[in-house]
Amino acid sequence: MLTYVIRRLLYSIVVLVAASFIIFTFVSVSADPLSFLKMQPTASEITIQNITKRKHLDEPIPVRYLYWVKDALTNKFGTTTIGDRPILPDLTRVMGHTLQLVVASELLALIIAVAIGVFSALRQYSAFDYAATTFSFVGLATPVFWLGLMLQVLFVNIYLWFDVRIFYTANLSGVDPGTGLHFLLDRIQHLALPIMTLMVASIASYSRYMRSSMLEVINSDYVRTARAKGLPERRVIMRHAFRNALIPLVTIVALNFGSLLGGAVVTETVFALDGMGLYFVNQLNAGDPYPVMAWLMVTATMVIVFNLIADIAYGYLDPRVRYD
Amino acid sequence: MRKRWLLLLTGTLALVGSLIVGPAATAKSEAPAAGTVIIGHDQEPTTLNFYISEGNLYATSLAMSPVLVGGMIYNDKAKLIPVLFDGEPKILKAEPLTVTFSYKANAKWSDGRQITGNDFLATYRTIMNPNWDITSREGWEDIASVKVKGKTVTVTWKKGKAYAAWDALVASSPVPAHKVAGQNFNDLWRDSIDIASGPFKFLSRQKGTQLVLARNDAYTAGPKAKLDRIVFRYIPSTPSIFQALQSGEIQVTEPQPQLQIVDIRKNPRFKVQSGPGYFWEHMDIQFGPKGHPALKQKYIRQALIQGINRAQVREALYVRPGLVGSVKELPVLQSHIFKPFEQYYQPNWGIWKFSQRNVIATLKKGGCTGGPDVPTANNDKIWTCPGVGKLSFRFTTTSGNQLRALTFEIAQKQLRSVGIELVPRFGPAGTVFGQVLPSGDWDIFMFTWVGGPTSSATSFSLYGCGGDQNYMNYCNKKASDLLKKAQFTPDPNERAKLLNQAEKIMAQDVMSIPMYVRPGFLINATSVKGPILNPTQQGSTWNAETWTVSA
Repeated sequence: MLTYVIRRLLYSIVVLVAASFIIFTFVSVSADPLSFLKMQPTASEITIQNITKRKHLDEPIPVRYLYWVKDALTNKFGTTTIGDRPILPDLTRVMGHTLQLVVASELLALIIAVAIGVFSALRQYSAFDYAATTFSFVGLATPVFWLGLMLQVLFVNIYLWFDVRIFYTANLSGVDPGTGLHFLLDRIQHLALPIMTLMVASIASYSRYMRSSMLEVINSDYVRTARAKGLPERRVIMRHAFRNALIPLVTIVALNFGSLLGGAVVTETVFALDGMGLYFVNQLNAGDPYPVMAWLMVTATMVIVFNLIADIAYGYLDPRVRYD
Repeated sequence: MRKRWLLLLTGTLALVGSLIVGPAATAKSEAPAAGTVIIGHDQEPTTLNFYISEGNLYATSLAMSPVLVGGMIYNDKAKLIPVLFDGEPKILKAEPLTVTFSYKANAKWSDGRQITGNDFLATYRTIMNPNWDITSREGWEDIASVKVKGKTVTVTWKKGKAYAAWDALVASSPVPAHKVAGQNFNDLWRDSIDIASGPFKFLSRQKGTQLVLARNDAYTAGPKAKLDRIVFRYIPSTPSIFQALQSGEIQVTEPQPQLQIVDIRKNPRFKVQSGPGYFWEHMDIQFGPKGHPALKQKYIRQALIQGINRAQVREALYVRPGLVGSVKELPVLQSHIFKPFEQYYQPNWGIWKFSQRNVIATLKKGGCTGGPDVPTANNDKIWTCPGVGKLSFRFTTTSGNQLRALTFEIAQKQLRSVGIELVPRFGPAGTVFGQVLPSGDWDIFMFTWVGGPTSSATSFSLYGCGGDQNYMNYCNKKASDLLKKAQFTPDPNERAKLLNQAEKIMAQDVMSIPMYVRPGFLINATSVKGPILNPTQQGSTWNAETWTVSA
């Protein structure tokens, strides 16, 4: 097992290095972080020269990449091209916000999706099953930006009709968020709509996986045997069927979770959440390869780690799986 | 069994619902504290230091202009009005240009220290320090000396280097000498600022979410702010800004042109102001060797401008959709140099009215053949003129811009009906601005210039012979000389006279077609009184000290 993990981690380092070079090249070729400054007729030539020299913008891309590697390893991902602002504190801040959003939405989505999936499988072709299937297809087909906006419109109208603020439509916290319980309440009111937006797609997808996985398990021989032995239905479902049916879902959730930590770009933009996705978009628009690369490294590491977690969890849930 | 599952599912949903909705639903709608106005903006300042390149954003100016005020600020008519100065600065000598100004006796920093000439000197030294990433040193580089006597400053420029926008330069917000001494200016005021010279001071910042200013009670150079606080909330998506506005999460905003503005206009809870700004769209004509030879003929350029209904373009883009209230709010642009709200604006291009019959008559008079005799809707006859060929021009602009696409469609249709063909050559902004525009390999190029109150003074760069940004390769010696002279004329009246003289010549030449000025918008809840749209970088907070808010 340990050998397997070490081997996977070593492979991952090679993948990270290759991905970092490719992305650095693409970002550096496609955008000039000084373009906004250069477009201004009165921009100071000395300033442009200083930044160019300081950030090695006049060097060939492979050389600039090596400077970035040095900065990333010895200087916590270095600083931004314009302003020399340290990247890590900003990245840490937005990561914390994205974690709040993703953990809450994934947990709630999992609870609801598993319940729907199991119930749909146990009552296959029932009215509930058809309704859940319809919801899943609608949920999967609904664009996130549209759903986000519709939720905003709905709760804005509720506010206008009843003069009661249930949820806020933008930002992470209120003007005066307070402390303790007041802070928590404020945060819930601000995160509720983006959580709902993210949950819809997750529930739609997870419930389908859960349903099909559960259907496969409850029709298998060992479940039939368990029933034939006279075990109560509840014990058959929860002990024998449910645990095995979870295995495929674990992989999907782990992969989805890893990629969501890179930021739910659309959701964070619609709800003005200061998270990883919005950070990435802003930095990409600025054409600054340094913060983009820092974001990439963190996101790629998350995906790799959660992939590994999924594989290990798979082995735990299914003892037949062996790691060579 | 079925019942139990149903109960379990219902229970789970109820638990989740109550976790989210329960505590929230009991909450009263949040009204901002008395005397607080919340401004929503789509961009967040990365630093609070607007002198350095990182802070060179409108968002920084909007948030910081009530904190670090200038000797003078631009009002809603883009006219400089004294704030920290005790009057308008005076020219002592025209050559070498020598000016003097004084800070008000009661002008002081928020920590109680007096604002003096030493602060201006510190500003000059800071800007000229090559170690700092100052955005622009234009005008400062040519200063020969700065002499200080208490609150009075005398600035002299190098001989022959009189800076036309000298008044805007000396009116810059002074930096506090006692705060910048020995500091790394690139790092200063990155996330907070502990000093103020204006009616508000920095209170707090939650990065990615908001920035809060509080009233500066030590401010004595002008009327004290009536509000307790101004809060800037950062919402990058424009549709979300409108939702936040409707739900009272923000009260003031300066949105991008969006159709939601039309609905907001009809809502009595909001006041919408719109007006021309400093961004102007125009069609440049190429005079260089790679341009179409026909466009080097004055009579053909004159025909071209008369063939496009510029008033209709403006109406189609902004008036008919309801974005601006009336045509009066967005007059047809008749000058490349001054904007319609500026004091020295003259409608120099008003000599060219839309007249399709004139186009045909002009081209016929020039000996062109093969075109229609009368304007025809589905015309396919294109003029051919002596020695310059068919009047079929490449029309270059950025792709993916709906307003530009619509402008092109209108111009193409109108010109086609009088026998002039426009062939689209759209491309990504990076390519057309980075490669095509400087190459001169185009016939007609439509884009926007971003100007400001001082940009008229530097018109030579755009339209003078050999000007740095004269991508048209246009050169009229007489106009160019006037523009050059204006660049070094410190008296604004005299300078405007020269610029308007030059533009009259340029208008006859039709070297470029002014299309429209992009309107700016300011929306405020009617509970907030006082916001007035300001077309300059000063932003809508220019008069924030006069704002009031009712519950």
